Amino acid sequence: MSVNDANVALFMENAAKVAAGLHQIAGKDELQGKLAEIVEQDVDVFCPKQTELEKFAAGFLDHLIPQYREAWVTVEEVTAAIAETGSIVCTSANGKAVQASLIPSHHVALVPREKIFATLDDFFVEYGVSPSTNMTIITGPSRTADIELNLVIGVHGPEKLDIIIV
Amino acid sequence: MNTQTSLNFRTNAAAAIKDSSLRKAMRNATETFGSKRTVAMASIDFEVLREKASAIRMEVINNLPAYIEKFTSNATAAGAIVHRAVDAKSANQIIAGILKDHDVKMVAKGKSMVSEETHLNAHLEEEGFEVVETDLGEYIIQLEGETPSHIIVPAIHKNRQQIGKLFHERLGMEYSEDPQALTKFARKVLREKFLTADAGISGANFAIAESGSLVLFTNEGNGRMVTSVPPLHIAILSVEKILPSLDELPTFMRLLPRSATGQMLTSYVSILTGNRKEGDVTGAQELHVVLLDNGRLEILKGDCREILKCIRCGACMNVCPVYRTVGGHSYGWTYPGPMGIILTTLLTGMANSYSLVDASTLCGACNDACPVKVPLKEMILKQRVRRVKEGYSSTAVSLGMGLFGMAIKHPLMFSTGETLASKFWSVMRTVGGENVAGRLPSPAKIPFSRRMS
Repeated sequence: MSVNDANVALFMENAAKVAAGLHQIAGKDELQGKLAEIVEQDVDVFCPKQTELEKFAAGFLDHLIPQYREAWVTVEEVTAAIAETGSIVCTSANGKAVQASLIPSHHVALVPREKIFATLDDFFVEYGVSPSTNMTIITGPSRTADIELNLVIGVHGPEKLDIIIV
Repeated sequence: MNTQTSLNFRTNAAAAIKDSSLRKAMRNATETFGSKRTVAMASIDFEVLREKASAIRMEVINNLPAYIEKFTSNATAAGAIVHRAVDAKSANQIIAGILKDHDVKMVAKGKSMVSEETHLNAHLEEEGFEVVETDLGEYIIQLEGETPSHIIVPAIHKNRQQIGKLFHERLGMEYSEDPQALTKFARKVLREKFLTADAGISGANFAIAESGSLVLFTNEGNGRMVTSVPPLHIAILSVEKILPSLDELPTFMRLLPRSATGQMLTSYVSILTGNRKEGDVTGAQELHVVLLDNGRLEILKGDCREILKCIRCGACMNVCPVYRTVGGHSYGWTYPGPMGIILTTLLTGMANSYSLVDASTLCGACNDACPVKVPLKEMILKQRVRRVKEGYSSTAVSLGMGLFGMAIKHPLMFSTGETLASKFWSVMRTVGGENVAGRLPSPAKIPFSRRMS
């Protein structure tokens, strides 16, 4: 197993622990089928169409709308992922709207496998020097335990998080 | 409901002990936290990490003025406007002033214990602003007109029936005691507030000196909302919450959530660096950071400065046998549990809090749980010494302890005392009333030492 295979495996194991839906596809040609399986039918979808991967994914998405505020689901490529904690990272760099991963009920994150860092320290070595205005490390969907410590998924942020490793 | 003060600990605690629904809620919460914490700690080397975390925090505390300056200059360079507030009143005035300048009507607020310390909400409401707490627990207690009873889970003292009734009466929701249904209802009500608020107010877990960033650990997503959706964001935090650089953050990302809620990591860790810049579509147009002193720099000069290492995880209260029994409201001020005893006596003065220093068995469970190695037990002892020195123990207690101190050094006097006590206990127990001898069991007919010979 290469270093990267180990990162992918650890990332998947840890992300699954925090109630994220995990999907791995062998190549871009499997993306269409995977999105059809994950993204709800007949709901408004936001996709920033900024990266090559997002532009490619947008081709398979119906009901695309330009405003994330009104969308039910966001499909986007994230900046990075961290194996140690099963986290994905969204940043405001390159004019990205970090709120697109917050306001819609369903967040579908596309993670290129080479963007998975092994540890938090590795991530900050690269991204901690001159951080973008907003950098949000996301570990599972929004949650609370404020009522009798009962876990409820989906408070103010997404109720569902799906991660597709490409 | 600010009827409780820290001087009434004994009365508050006696009432809390008789409240069976509170006792049940506290037991459920602290036991759940305990077991989740144990599981979460299994995946790290706690001793090694907390040694490291303690050293990082101590480095900041030892050079605090320089770190405050460095953070201020780097946050300013990133576009934030940094304010220094010497006390609670000045923090509240600064914030009200910013809101007035921007013609704000409604504020969406994320959870902040520092704002509880300054009574920010009451001040802003008096000034005519609508303030909506958006953390579910804070929202519940705001509706009820209460204060938090735990620094991480503010409504830990309430059960689902009470919350169901509250939502029904105050929000017109059909009665339900299902946490899922209650949470989803709050999601709907508060979503509207986030999208229409003129300003967001939040706390922050850390400020990063090198990058001028603020770091927030949250789970619900309301913290992300209030810091990124409204055009104006004001963050309030106390001056000691600084870390040197983002390189040190991973250590605290590993320790803080595990110590607080037993999570590997909170759902969200937001790192905010300045306001929205050219090319950004995220971030408040204007970001203000209010650094509150309110007595911290005074603590820095004294022998309890290590309390400033505290990262507000709540682990010390979750393991404290006193907190677990009486709950947070008994302590009468913002911070309960072992860290609360120390902060309350240091920040509000011994005259306003001397009865709190009894709220510990000195078992030391707090020391074992603390992720930054604050010597809590030793500091509580120091506060007890301070109480005596500053003259806040009653004459009866001082006299009694003086006599006892003399007696245990002199065997003859001790055995005379024993004989006297067994004969005249009914008279002696009235000395000092319920607070002194009255609480002690009657002495044995034949003392233990004589049974041995």
